[in-house]
Amino acid sequence: MCFHEHVHGNQEKMGRIFSVNLEGKIYSCKHCRTHVALMDDIVSKSFHCRHGKAYLFSKVVNVTVGTKEERMMMTGLHTVADIFCVRCGSIVGWTYETAHQKDQKYKEGKSVLERYKISGPDGSNYWASHEAHVGGSDAEDV
Amino acid sequence: MGGVEHSEPPLKRVKVPLGDLKNLVGEVSHIVPVSSSLGDSMARSPCSQGAEEMVGMKGVIKKQEFVKIITRALYSLGYVRTGALLEEESGIPLHSTAVALLLDQVRGEKWEESLVTLHKIGLSDEIMVKRASFLLLEQKFFDLLKEENLMAALDTLRNEIVPLSVDVGRVRELASFIICPSQCVALRISSQDGTDANSRSGFKEKLEKLLPAAVMIPERRLEHLVEQALDVQRDACVFHNTLDSEFSLYVDHQCGRNQIPSHTLQILQAHKDEVWFLQFSHNGKYLASASKDHTTVVWEVKESDLVLLKHTLTGHQQPVLTITWSPDDSQLLTCGVEEVVRRWDVNTGECLHVYEKAGVGLISCGWFPDGKGIVSGMKDKSICLWDLDGRELECWKGQRTLNISDMAITDDGKRIISICRENAILLLDREAKFERLIEEKQVITSFSLSEDNKFLLVNLMNQELHLWSIEGDIKVVAHYRGHIRTRFLIRSCFGGFEQAFIASGSEDSQVYIWHRDTGKLLLTLAGHSGAVNCVSWNPMDPHMLASASDDRTIRIWGLDGLNCKGHCSNGNGIT
Repeated sequence: MCFHEHVHGNQEKMGRIFSVNLEGKIYSCKHCRTHVALMDDIVSKSFHCRHGKAYLFSKVVNVTVGTKEERMMMTGLHTVADIFCVRCGSIVGWTYETAHQKDQKYKEGKSVLERYKISGPDGSNYWASHEAHVGGSDAEDV
Repeated sequence: MGGVEHSEPPLKRVKVPLGDLKNLVGEVSHIVPVSSSLGDSMARSPCSQGAEEMVGMKGVIKKQEFVKIITRALYSLGYVRTGALLEEESGIPLHSTAVALLLDQVRGEKWEESLVTLHKIGLSDEIMVKRASFLLLEQKFFDLLKEENLMAALDTLRNEIVPLSVDVGRVRELASFIICPSQCVALRISSQDGTDANSRSGFKEKLEKLLPAAVMIPERRLEHLVEQALDVQRDACVFHNTLDSEFSLYVDHQCGRNQIPSHTLQILQAHKDEVWFLQFSHNGKYLASASKDHTTVVWEVKESDLVLLKHTLTGHQQPVLTITWSPDDSQLLTCGVEEVVRRWDVNTGECLHVYEKAGVGLISCGWFPDGKGIVSGMKDKSICLWDLDGRELECWKGQRTLNISDMAITDDGKRIISICRENAILLLDREAKFERLIEEKQVITSFSLSEDNKFLLVNLMNQELHLWSIEGDIKVVAHYRGHIRTRFLIRSCFGGFEQAFIASGSEDSQVYIWHRDTGKLLLTLAGHSGAVNCVSWNPMDPHMLASASDDRTIRIWGLDGLNCKGHCSNGNGIT
């Protein structure tokens, strides 16, 4: 099942957004530069999504979590929820709630950030690749 | 007596905690008709010899004890005849024969005899008997001194008092009186106020306190029990929010929820953008609100509870994120987001001073309790203290605060409080120069200090509110849940009579109010059409609450118009 990109909530800023500031090598939301994760928290760089590369992080900040849903990925069935930048509401990736297979359990509680959606520590951006993926969605290189 | 209690069929009781108390009150009225005719209206069964008789619905009150404390109360109130009559009619004497004799002998100053009687009471605690003996012998000693019979006094001291081996310090004092008897007499005279009764009653009080309560019923015991019950009622009254409440013994005290502000009295529209912060002045006469529109509005609270705009303070180039009132409410501090702090005169609306630091944005501000200094948190995580003219007095560098943090200073000026880490609040002690931390497992978004400075209400990222005790043992004492917080900085505060309530804003556009002690969610106030960012409870009027919202308005909440202010229902429909 493929997921589709959408912008959560309203684009205009409402209320005084609460966000935390990170220190170190920071990945931030491409649109509004809100800090999202630290390079030190990368668990794996070998994830993939529709738009290209994605990284698995042990910890992400300043995101709101969408609704949980069951998704079939190349590695099996998982319960995941999309995550959105707390400030501008754009989708940045997804978080693993439950993994139904034992060898995938290590993902639980961790989050994937799509490289296309975030700016790297050196401010670099990643451009979407056009490779088609069979079975859609998130896969993992074995 | 037994016939009267059980003549009515047992009442079907709903399991309500205070219901039993009510029934008990009903029972008491049967047992003590003080002024009505005695002896005939009550069917009396002779006191049972075997099992102990109980009174009350729960069967936990011993009749003997119950009657005795009533007798004691009657005597305390001065109703000597009635007290004696009760002893006679109930067949339950206040004191055992031995104790009665002892009291009589003490009154008659017959020390030798009273000592003998003391041993006849049958007290098991040896030390207690010795202490009581000491008190009696002390009186004997003083009498001998008064008669100037020094030899006998010394003899008493040596052979009767000393062998008791109690209160050695006092023995030495007594010995000194022998050496200087005139001094002792003078002391006793001065403490007597001219009458013997005073010194006697002082000693009598000591004796009464010493003997076990079962032997010598403590004075005011009944009053004490009633006060305890009233305390329980008071604590259970979750809506209790009124200054002039009176407690009646006839019915359990219970305020209705109409005591808590729940009705929109006014909608204040002055800001051109989201209102992020607001706070009443200490004297409750003003309200200040800060907005994303870069302005601060000062409102005046009129006698009739009408709130009117007084000044619009402009000058900030950024949204204003916080306001603090000076201790005397004559000035205000406002802080722009990562910008400067401005000091304003409340009366004229003038900006008196701008505080800034080159290259570093300010993120929070607070008044020093003496009104002569300003404390501010900086974007570079340090905290600075300036005098009113902007001279830097002190600067705490290092990780003292975060980019988003509140700032609080205790009234004694000793502690500066700010969020120093994602999940920790710093309690910086200025004098002792040490720091204590409040650590949470979740990210902390904001906090609020109680009026008595003993508690800190902490807002967490996971929508929980934790109440921390910060005096002495630092620990969490309560949790509050229910409101919504997913993206914004939402604030909460203490409020109401004796700050017995917790109020909070919420992203679902409602104001939430909890009972502080029990953590129970009491009310949610709907009305705003945008997230409620901040709430402030008028410190001088427990019936007024203000809320600031993303819908650009401020709402003033008050009591439901139907009910009179300041009255709480007494539980029997009479207000």
